[in-house]
Amino acid sequence: MSVAASAYAGKLTLITGSRRGVGRLMAEHILAQGGRVAGFARGESTIDHPDYHHFQVDIGDPASVQQGFAQLKKVSDTVHIVINNAAVLTSQYAMIMPPAQAQAMLNTNLMGAFMVSREASKMMRKAKWGRIINIGSMAVSLEPIGDSMYAACKAGLATLANVMAKELAPLNVTCNTLGITAIKTDMLAQLPQDKIADVIAGLPLPRFAEPDDIFNVIDFLASERSAYITAQTIYLGGVN
Amino acid sequence: MLNQAAVQEIILQALNNINDERGPDEQLTVGLDTRLFGADAVLDSLSLVSVIVDVEAAVSDAAGRDISLTDDRAMSQSVSPFTDVNALTAYILLLLSEPA
Repeated sequence: MSVAASAYAGKLTLITGSRRGVGRLMAEHILAQGGRVAGFARGESTIDHPDYHHFQVDIGDPASVQQGFAQLKKVSDTVHIVINNAAVLTSQYAMIMPPAQAQAMLNTNLMGAFMVSREASKMMRKAKWGRIINIGSMAVSLEPIGDSMYAACKAGLATLANVMAKELAPLNVTCNTLGITAIKTDMLAQLPQDKIADVIAGLPLPRFAEPDDIFNVIDFLASERSAYITAQTIYLGGVN
Repeated sequence: MLNQAAVQEIILQALNNINDERGPDEQLTVGLDTRLFGADAVLDSLSLVSVIVDVEAAVSDAAGRDISLTDDRAMSQSVSPFTDVNALTAYILLLLSEPA
């Protein structure tokens, strides 16, 4: 059995934002490794697989998250791995950023991850095992113009993981953050391509991230052997 | 609706769950006057959180409605609902006596 397969076999992984982009790629990867996946997303499922359970949840709404977990508990007693991936992005100078867009980023990108981690850790508590992986961003380090709220939310995600790592350590639950670089997704397509090209050119490893770059770190953090790795942020592409 | 004895049983069971995870030399003395929070509390912070989570879930399941033991109201009571088992029982019965 491969390292990746052993990380997911017999386990349920909850992925937020599983309909598209990086979330969908990760869901399909874990399903291919023989794991079960629960997906939280606002829209209907885009994944057709017998081991995939989809729940229509707006993670920016705490009540919706709690309803999602109530439904999830009907198919599983526990969640083993959580990947807080869902995010929305509006890139704009702060002076003209609509407050509603900024609030939406805060609700989904940070509060949503908090609520999902909160509810999942209650389930992990009984199993005395868990992995919480937050999907961060190179924006935390690069601090690009226009991404003030987005980068702040992603920085908050790492802090969220670090504090929860301490709270959940006695329960054998680790909490880490993967800071991803640009990968060709719908979200990236919203941004000016010249801006993206400049960012990529400035990376120590100047290329887009590939799905396998992300899978490699997720597999590592989710594995049994990573039980002694918590409160860490791992960046791709040489970002630090 | 849950009565006093049923609520007490749920709380005592949550405390017994903590004992199940402890060694023989670390067992809590579980009773209606067991101190949950404050200077004389027998629970460490994570154990208290575990008891709250277990009790919230069990009461919500048994009553068929969600209750919250950690909202602003609970935290602002003049006498903490988490003082001991009796205080927590009284607070839960108060919540259950109100419309959902």
